[in-house]
Amino acid sequence: MKKEIDIMRLLKRLFDLDNLIADKEADKKIGFKIDEEVGLLSLKRERANLLKEIPKEYADTYERVKKRYTLALAEVKNGFCFGCFQQLPTEMLVRSNEIVTCPNCGRILFWREE
Amino acid sequence: MNLASLLSRERINLELKSTKKEEVLRDLVYMIKSKTDAELIYNTLLKREELGSTGIGKGIAIPHCRSLAVSKLEIAVGRTLKPINFNAIDKKPVSLFFLIIAPPQDPGNQYLITLGKIVQICRELSKGNLINKPQTPDEFIALINEIEKKLTKKR
Ligand SMILES: [Zn+2]
Repeated sequence: MKKEIDIMRLLKRLFDLDNLIADKEADKKIGFKIDEEVGLLSLKRERANLLKEIPKEYADTYERVKKRYTLALAEVKNGFCFGCFQQLPTEMLVRSNEIVTCPNCGRILFWREE
Repeated sequence: MNLASLLSRERINLELKSTKKEEVLRDLVYMIKSKTDAELIYNTLLKREELGSTGIGKGIAIPHCRSLAVSKLEIAVGRTLKPINFNAIDKKPVSLFFLIIAPPQDPGNQYLITLGKIVQICRELSKGNLINKPQTPDEFIALINEIEKKLTKKR
């Protein structure tokens, strides 16, 4: 079984990757050349591979929340979920390596490294 | 907001010894973050390059992405001692690198505005043959400041 800390790492990579794909039109507008075929395909393949590596329950949660809010991960800061800006219950504020979701919006929560 | 104010001396290295694309990207990222954060950004940057090289031509590249590993806009600048292959759009080797990393959400879209501005400034740098002119980070910041002022006046 995969450790939660490793699953979280995969979720973060998936999240960054999704933002890359979402930004491609803006990139083009600025003047960057985007490879809509080979390049995009490669990113989508990477996305599919990451999803396969992530245990189904977490992958499903990610996809479900993404569909609803676009950004499926939210930072915990000063006791708040920075996705929906609701205060989190005290028992959730102890930073752990477990994967937890916001009881209000359902986004997957993360704590910043430093 | 001006670009020069986002640059810091500690994050400008005009003597990078790297000779490969991957090495340069790593060097740049580690000027901003370390450990798992740096590796996440590095990974995302490599994927961004697969989507199309950020080498905009004439020896300059602007690797960029959003990453959950940063909480605000972060910029690093590197210049390699020798130009390296970066699959740039004009196929020419690259020696000047502007790295820009933005958080997933940034109010006011500072990221895209800054990115656009860097592209503009880089065009001026190559037009004036200025890539190799600055010898120190301070000179580099002064040069960017100067170009930025000129561009603002034009508008
Ligand atoms: Zn929430």
